[in-house]
Amino acid sequence: MKLSIPKYWRRRFDYYSVIIAECLDCGKKTYPRKHICPYCKSRNVRAITSAGIGEVIAYTISYFRVEGSEEHIPKIVALIKLDDGPILIGELVDLDLSELREGLRVEAVLRKIRTDDPGGLIYYGVKFRPLMK
Amino acid sequence: MVSNRVYISSSSMLKVSRYFTKSYKELALDVVTEIFRCVDGGLDSVDYVVVSNVFSDSILDQLDISTVLNQELGLVPKPSLRVETGESSGLSAVIHAYALIKSGLASSVLVLGVEKGSEFPTTVINKHITKFLDYEVESIYDFALVNEAALLMKLYMKKYNHRREDLSTWSIKMHENAIKNPYAQLRFSVSAEQVVNSQIISEPLRLLDAFPVGDGASALLLTSKEDLIQSDDPIEIIAGYQATSLPLNLRDDLLELPASKSLFYRALSECGLKLDDAVIEVHDSYSIFGYLAIESLGLVERGKAPEAIKDLNMVNLSGGLKARGHPIGATGVYQVSEVFKILTDGLGDLRRDATWGLIHSMSAIDNNSSVVVLKRCS
Repeated sequence: MKLSIPKYWRRRFDYYSVIIAECLDCGKKTYPRKHICPYCKSRNVRAITSAGIGEVIAYTISYFRVEGSEEHIPKIVALIKLDDGPILIGELVDLDLSELREGLRVEAVLRKIRTDDPGGLIYYGVKFRPLMK
Repeated sequence: MVSNRVYISSSSMLKVSRYFTKSYKELALDVVTEIFRCVDGGLDSVDYVVVSNVFSDSILDQLDISTVLNQELGLVPKPSLRVETGESSGLSAVIHAYALIKSGLASSVLVLGVEKGSEFPTTVINKHITKFLDYEVESIYDFALVNEAALLMKLYMKKYNHRREDLSTWSIKMHENAIKNPYAQLRFSVSAEQVVNSQIISEPLRLLDAFPVGDGASALLLTSKEDLIQSDDPIEIIAGYQATSLPLNLRDDLLELPASKSLFYRALSECGLKLDDAVIEVHDSYSIFGYLAIESLGLVERGKAPEAIKDLNMVNLSGGLKARGHPIGATGVYQVSEVFKILTDGLGDLRRDATWGLIHSMSAIDNNSSVVVLKRCS
């Protein structure tokens, strides 16, 4: 077993949905959620579950080989501006390369992110697919 | 005679390469032996050892590496510690050593940067390199620094209307510079055509836009003792600045290096550094970062770096991370060693009479940044 179960489990809600923080003092939004607003340092922040819908600002098709994740190559990594929140970095899935463009509307979807050694758990997290009409 | 000024007494380094027959201890031994060959009584005078190494536990299966190195190198019972701030660790170590001397806790400090990047195949090293980002947020998804560098290239090309081939100039220039640096890893020239046709890593970023993986070691002896200064024309460390910034996705301006920019501003305003009388080393693990660094420094207008770098003959004379190589934890120590040699006896045949040295290092995309300012005292 290479992956720690509690390390992942305690953040499961942040892996199963897009949770952002809104600062009730300066109004700025942060992904991932933080206890302290990184902009105005206020602790007066609240967590919001984002609708997970946004737009691709930029994307890259990656062939970077990392041990243990070669099966996921190539993958598309994008900067996504959430409609109700900040920019985040996300992986794009379920799309034909011909659909890929800046400005593409996308939505969060649950996908497998890691598989531990044989006998270990399968880990899930949020990726993004083209917005279903 | 002891002052509270911090001078570089001597420096040494190995060619960045793949040393399959040598361990990190042997690389360290080589550079430390060279330092004390140059400085009479230097070893006895050292009262602190600061080691910079990033992957000691993940690659070398070693914690407390600074003690193990002291035991190996005849440096017991001197105190030692390891500094780790990601890719900027080497320059952080130099700044920590500078602070020890400035504070009066030490009068001579040995700074030792050593890294073994070639102990495993690249995919394993790549795994460790992703750890410079926030594991819980980015690395767990296998997002890598190279992906973020590629995204910045796209944003940069779009904002300033550059074609992909326009962004080959950094690599071409760095490889050209590295040919003159005997310690550089990639001592060959490349053409724009070779850059844009090299292997795709994360499009539009290609192999020849990226630093090579390698092993390296470099050492510096910093001192406030005037009898350990080798030259009539000594090089003093005037300042060491450090700062952190928010991750890329939370920045208002994605094409600015906020921590680096604030440190460059301090170097220029507080030290009186003159860019036209300086030798400059900036952090260019990926060529886009080199462009952004010289723009954040104010050396060139924003968006103009790809054209301007062709004629800048005081930036990354070493070849930069791109072509000298990037032995991660040792890199910042290399940068200072190189600038010191260029200002004094020469790095190979490379010698400049400039008054100032400016060294910049960062981790990931400016997640943290360090700047060191050197000045010729004559």
